[in-house]
This record gives sequence, C-alpha cells and structure tokens, in this order.
Amino acid sequence: MSIKSDRWQNLLSDDSLWKSYNEYVNKWEKSIGSFLQFDADKTKGDSSSDGLLKGMPFGVKDNIAVKGFDMTCGSKILENFNCPYTSTAVQKLQGAGAVVVGKMNMDEFGMGSSTDNSALGETNNPWDKSRVAGGSSGGSAASVAAGQVPFALGSDTGGSVRQPASFCGVYGLKPTYGTVSRYGLTAYASSLETIGICAESTAITRDVFNTMKGIDNMDNTTVDYKPSGKDDTEIIAVLKVGENDLSEDVLNSYRVSQQRLKDLGYKLIEVELPTLKYVVPAYYVIATAEASANLARFNGIRYGLAQKGAETPSDLMQMSRNSGFGDEVKLRILLGTYVLRSGFQDQYYHRAQKIRTAILNDFNRIFEEADALMLPVFPTAAFRHGSSDLTQLQQKAADLYTCSANLAGLPALAVPSTIEKGLPVGVQFTAPAFEEERLFRISEKLEEIFPAQKPEGFSEEWKI
Amino acid sequence: MEKSELLKTAALAKLKLDEQEADKLAVEVTAMLENFSLMMEADVEGLEPTTQTLQQENRTRSDSPGSSNLSNDLLDRVPEREDRFIVIPNVI
Repeated sequence: MSIKSDRWQNLLSDDSLWKSYNEYVNKWEKSIGSFLQFDADKTKGDSSSDGLLKGMPFGVKDNIAVKGFDMTCGSKILENFNCPYTSTAVQKLQGAGAVVVGKMNMDEFGMGSSTDNSALGETNNPWDKSRVAGGSSGGSAASVAAGQVPFALGSDTGGSVRQPASFCGVYGLKPTYGTVSRYGLTAYASSLETIGICAESTAITRDVFNTMKGIDNMDNTTVDYKPSGKDDTEIIAVLKVGENDLSEDVLNSYRVSQQRLKDLGYKLIEVELPTLKYVVPAYYVIATAEASANLARFNGIRYGLAQKGAETPSDLMQMSRNSGFGDEVKLRILLGTYVLRSGFQDQYYHRAQKIRTAILNDFNRIFEEADALMLPVFPTAAFRHGSSDLTQLQQKAADLYTCSANLAGLPALAVPSTIEKGLPVGVQFTAPAFEEERLFRISEKLEEIFPAQKPEGFSEEWKI
Repeated sequence: MEKSELLKTAALAKLKLDEQEADKLAVEVTAMLENFSLMMEADVEGLEPTTQTLQQENRTRSDSPGSSNLSNDLLDRVPEREDRFIVIPNVI
C-alpha cells in the first residue's frame, strides 16, 4: 500500500490553498513553536515536479543540511550559519517531489529528551502546551502531530525520534544503522546515529524510508540493504516489565498493545534483556566520547560563532566554545573527554564497547525465537517543562528502552498505542537489521485498530 | 570529580569555564560518572568490543580526483579572512 499523495499534489500550484496552508502552520506556531525557520517558498524550486511524494511539504530537523536554509543545530555556535549544501536524504526526498518547508527545533546538537536544551526556541507539546514534545527531535514530532506537515525528518542517536514520536502520538522510525546516508547530518555520535522519520501514518513512514535508503558514496558507513524476505511476523517477543519500571499510564498502555497483538493472532512470548540495566551507562560513555571528538570542529576559526577579543588561537577556541555551547553540550564534551583520557579508557570506553556486544547478543538470542520484539518507548508520557517531573539525570536513565537499538544498530519503530489522561503514549517494536518492512506490517495492523489520534486544534480544512 | 581534574579535562576540551560554571558542572559530571560505574558489575569476560554492528570491513572509494565546487561557499562562511586566507590571532 502506498500513500495517496493526491491529497497534497495541488498544494504547490493552488495559490489559495497555499495561503491557507501557511496560515494554518503559523496559527499552530504561536502555541507550539516547532519550527526554527518556516518558509514554504524558499526551496520549492529544488523539488521535482513529480514522484511518489509529489507536493508533500516536510520539515527537517535543524541538524540536517538543506541548502538555502540556515542550519543551527539548536546552538548559538551555529546561529545564522547558512547551509551551503543539501544532505543526501533530503536530496532524495526532493527528487521524489517532496518540498522542504522549514527547519525543526531540537535539543542543542541532539543532546536531550525534551527540546528544552535548544538555545534558540521553546517547543511545546501540541496535546498540552505545559509539557515538552520530547527530544531531541521535538520540533519534528510536534509539527507532525499538529498537522503542519505529514512527515518530518529527525535524527536518532539514543531515541531522539522514537521518544518525541511517542510523546506527540505519531509514528517514529529509527532505521537500521547505515541504511540512510548521514551525509549532511551534523555528527554527534557517529557510530550510533541515523536520520529517522516522524510521520502521521505507517504508509508515509514506509514511503519516506524507501525513498531515502541506499548506498551513498558520500557516506562510507552506508551498507547494502539485505532484508531476509520474511516480511510477515508470527511470533513477537514482549519485553517483561515490572510494576515499577513504567508509570501507571504507560504500563496500562503497554498491556493494551499486548492484548491487541494477541487479538490479531500473533504468538507472544515474554522475554528479558539481561544487559538492559547496563545500556544507559554504556550508551552515554560511547555517545559522549564520540561527541567530544565530533564537536571539536566548532572552534571559532572556519565557521560559526567567533568570539571577539581573543589574543591567541587557543583563546579564540576557548572563548568561542564557552560562549557558543550550552550547559548540556559542555557536560557531554567534558564527560567524553574524560572517558577517553589516557588511563581511563579501559575502565569506561572499552568496557562500554563490550557491553555493546552483550546487548547485541541479547537481541540475537531473542531473534532466534521471535520475528520482532515489543518494548516500551519511554517510562512516562510527556513530562512538564523544566525538571519538576524528571531531572536531567532521570531523563537520561529513561533512555534504556530506546538506546539499546542504537547500540545494536537495529531498526525500531514507535507506534501510537493509547491516549492516557489526555496524553498520547506509544509502544516500540524492533527487529533484526534490514527488517523495517516487518515493523511496518505490524504497525499497519495496529493502525487499523488504533490510528494516530489528533490533538485539539488539528484540522485538515485548509486542504479542502 | 575533583575540581582540578575537571579543569584539566576542560582545558583538553578547549572549554574555558568560570568558577561558578565549574562548580555546577563538577556536580553533574560526578553524578554521571557514578552512573557509568554501574558498568563495573557487568560480566564482560570473553566479549570482544563492538565498534560498529553491520559493516564487516571498511568500504573505500576509488582514488580519483573530483570537485565538490564548495570551496568558495565555505570560504564565504569564515568569520574573518583576507582573500583566500583565514585570519586568526597571532600564534607567537
């Protein structure tokens, strides 16, 4: 099944439709702030006039390069940086007819779970403006939930597409590592991250993924796509969760999804991931180590913020980095530098890489018996802005269900599950590498029972 | 983490922290390192480290000249330059 993009195809050519679309987006912007830049006309001419995604507007997380727009990564160090080239993933979507309408807010350099770490704007959850949209791809998920765009690109290093998708009640795919080119994605933790998709339906997620995937000479970590051919699932492993692992709402939602799978005729087996308790420290050791190296490029010399008044090159670097980076970015650079310092590498970095092997072994054992694995996305529904619900450290600890797939390089999809006390809650599915289609098929069956719900204020009337 | 260690690490990372910032970050770094220490109880005996999961060997591309045509665009984004040179503060 493919998307009916005829819903969109007149948008670009019909002036009155175009005007009402712009008005609709701007109306939502006042209350949710999902975009850092919105200019639907800016790169219209770079998109093909025909193709699978003809006329579909989409948003791009602001750490992914689109020529013509700025690329800030949500950071003061790149504020006003005008992007000189376009990422491979966006080029492919433009080639299929989709049109970039803006750049989405995010936690600075992808570091965070709330989008509150953006130095350039605040994003609110369309379901409850006092709550976060999740992160780090919070702008992407919020814009899809509000109907500003049918899909938006994000990036997922430890759950940054799936967690905001769950918080906003949309679909969120983290593809198999290396299947979508990272050329043009600002590097944070290169061995973990992928460009991902937030979308309003499974069908759109599939079409966008299939359009973007493929070997790219500009990214030598892209791999040949080798699915097994077994797209249908019979047995789903379900991660065993305890009463205290999830909030009451999320636990309830998890049970509902489990029952739906049973009703759909899947055979369910309960499993455990013995390594799960170690994945958060292992993930943060690897991610911060890679971040400390990747963010060394921002030094005030070649591009970005350059602090005035420096007397030596070293001064220039230190002053620019200190005024350009926010607190969370500094924390992660410090941690990453520390764990890579001589004398500490065995204790931290090498041990984390061995735990990475252990979680991969856990997954492989499960996939000997099951076709896919169901697990929670995040232990809570969308939390409130600030640290009153969850401290920064608690937010990091809550990455356990999502960051495992990044450590193992596996595809994972967040699927809307229920609405609990007015807030959406998602559930996650993961499968062996290259089995995205398997995930889409499970998701489509669940979508027939429970499609993505819409927040108050959502409207498609501008399309009529 | 001792503050002296933090400042040494910050210098390696080319971050100049003021006193107040250093105190705040010392607390946060210490909390994260405590979290990292959970890994010590994991049994990793006999496990090889994983650096990437799917690629068996490095993929190379042919050693042929090409042009990205980006050099002028990139130079346009340099904070301070003279012609095609990037200006930085005095080295000596």
